[in-house]
Amino acid sequence: MHSDMEKEQLYQQRLTRYTKAMRLAKPDRVPIRPFVAEFTAKYAGYTCQEVAHDYRKAFEAACRCAADFDWDAVVANMVYVWTGLTEAIGLRYYGIPGLHIPANVGFQYREPSEEQAFMRPDEYDLLTDDPTGYLFNVWLPRVSADVTAPGQPTAFRSNLSFLKGGMAMMNYFHAFGPQVERLRKECGTVSAIAGILKAPFDILADKLRGYLGLITDLFERPKKVRRACEALMPHLLHTALSGADPQKQVPIGLWMHRGCVPFINRQQFADLYWPTLKPIIEEIHKHGLQTLFYAEGKWAAHLDAFLELPEASIVFHVDQDDVFEVHKKIGHKFCISGGIPNYLLAFEKPAAVRQFCKRLIKEVAKDGRYIADAGAIMQNDISIDNLKEMTASIREYGVY
Amino acid sequence: MQEKTEIRKPGVCIPWEEKRRELGPIQGDEQVFQTVWEEVDGLAHLYIWQLLLSF
Repeated sequence: MHSDMEKEQLYQQRLTRYTKAMRLAKPDRVPIRPFVAEFTAKYAGYTCQEVAHDYRKAFEAACRCAADFDWDAVVANMVYVWTGLTEAIGLRYYGIPGLHIPANVGFQYREPSEEQAFMRPDEYDLLTDDPTGYLFNVWLPRVSADVTAPGQPTAFRSNLSFLKGGMAMMNYFHAFGPQVERLRKECGTVSAIAGILKAPFDILADKLRGYLGLITDLFERPKKVRRACEALMPHLLHTALSGADPQKQVPIGLWMHRGCVPFINRQQFADLYWPTLKPIIEEIHKHGLQTLFYAEGKWAAHLDAFLELPEASIVFHVDQDDVFEVHKKIGHKFCISGGIPNYLLAFEKPAAVRQFCKRLIKEVAKDGRYIADAGAIMQNDISIDNLKEMTASIREYGVY
Repeated sequence: MQEKTEIRKPGVCIPWEEKRRELGPIQGDEQVFQTVWEEVDGLAHLYIWQLLLSF
């Protein structure tokens, strides 16, 4: 049992370790920063329904893992979508554990068919001319079962969607401050990220046109897609900065979804995805902040583009790419995180986990600039024994 | 009805300039009204963009 003072010392050690690695210095040892989502529920004895629908239980589960594992940093709640909030607003696109899907399955995003996309193909000008107005007046009435569109008769449920949604969101966001403090004081653990960003292209694909609709648009109306991405850029930058760490120690999370080969081709990446994301990252860098590229899927085709960014402006998280190859390509310029395959942690034996981590430390982490984590967020299929083995082997081999 | 207001900048839903025209003469300190209006208005921008990004 650590005293309060020891916890604070532990916190400062971990913060130094974590931030040094991100800024290309060599810390005392390899930091461990696992993005544990529904794994926390499994470990703490909750269902996926409980941690998705009652964020207090998600917070508790995150703290219990942080206290029991020797981790340097965690996300304050990686089961980020509080489905109590999404239900209060009436959002249609979630599959909620215990309601639409079994109680012990992680929440799902349900993308509508191309014909039922939340944004129609002829609405690009509306979005581009006034993104915020479009979201309130057109998008929200479509994605919410309760919100009525301007011009339609208002309704009690519509009014309540805004009232309950606004108050619940404030309630949730305000709960993060005490949660971050609790992680620090009770566990000596650093809160790993602050603020959220997505590429304009990904926002169009995820929440507006859908992936299939957007792919059609890339061929039928590419200029309108580009103009829409440009119109989204300042709002996405503003939102990212408004949630960023005021101390400028931990990065803003960039969640990268469908902007890579083969979802789009190299030319579309070069003409559209990257030119409407890169300036946002550069602007964030000018504010003294880093961005964590949480590169879901495979992004090896685009590593040359990322090298255009200023040194240490990003931390590059490896999901399904070969972490050894990514390190050779961009490891001199950016800190690398992740790369430990989820299938290894879910289905293989602890000895295989140890063997992989040993090689990872030897080849990728030898000069610093590496943060240990799985490739993707860890759900409840991850083996507790394997995650313990990952932690132990990184600690054993990862001392500089 | 699609409300058409002045171009909505990041962080803004109803610009202060638009609200100011509705208020008429101000007897006290206009800056106080503007600052608080913009702070609270910014929460509405945060609401819709966080819905889009996070939820």
